[in-house]
Amino acid sequence: MSASAPYANVLRMLEKCAPGSTVRLANHSRVITFNRKVYPSLPKFDDIELGHIRKMVRFLGIDKECAKKHGVI
Amino acid sequence: MDLTEHPIMLTLQDTISGDGFLAGVTLFGRALMRKEDDEKWWMYGVRPAAIAESGNTIDETFLRFRNRYKEVLFDIAQDNNKFEDFKAEVERFFNEPDEEDERLWNNALKAIRSSKISPPEPFAQLPRESPESKPSKITIERLDVEGKRFKSSDNATDIYALPNAA
Repeated sequence: MSASAPYANVLRMLEKCAPGSTVRLANHSRVITFNRKVYPSLPKFDDIELGHIRKMVRFLGIDKECAKKHGVI
Repeated sequence: MDLTEHPIMLTLQDTISGDGFLAGVTLFGRALMRKEDDEKWWMYGVRPAAIAESGNTIDETFLRFRNRYKEVLFDIAQDNNKFEDFKAEVERFFNEPDEEDERLWNNALKAIRSSKISPPEPFAQLPRESPESKPSKITIERLDVEGKRFKSSDNATDIYALPNAA
């Protein structure tokens, strides 16, 4: 099982599973907003470890089944 | 019976420079540690919740989590030019919950306190603290104010600890 996912797949998941979400680059991390909540600590790497994505999905209240379909958790 | 979700208590203290202010941030936080399928230890924030980090050992995981937390404070300082805005945003970061991880943290505490479960190595070596006497909170204080008195007793060491069983 791969322990990370390409950031492009995370973006695709956000577009489909978290409509209206926004992504902003801060100096150290990516800042994701959805459901009026802010996730300020997504790493800026090209490949993101699944633990980060799992936490973001849980915290922002993104549909887990939808995220699973995109292979990022 | 083994515990898979390990409730962690955090004490972290930082001095953060912003554009025109200096802030002292002291966190008494909560986190969960768990070994995931990738065979790494993961530390998931509970208070603050919007943060996670991994490592090959629990010490490495804590250090990487600690660094990522500091980087979030740095980013918030860069994005907010006024101390009041920085404080509000840090408080928001601390207060926005992850109900699922909060529930798991409380369940793990209950499991420890039921006396049916003792923490496995390497958690058995961690210091113990009382969640009741150290409730989760964050304080953000402006340091660059006239008349501010600094005391060595205000210093706090970075600690990650287990809640005590009693």
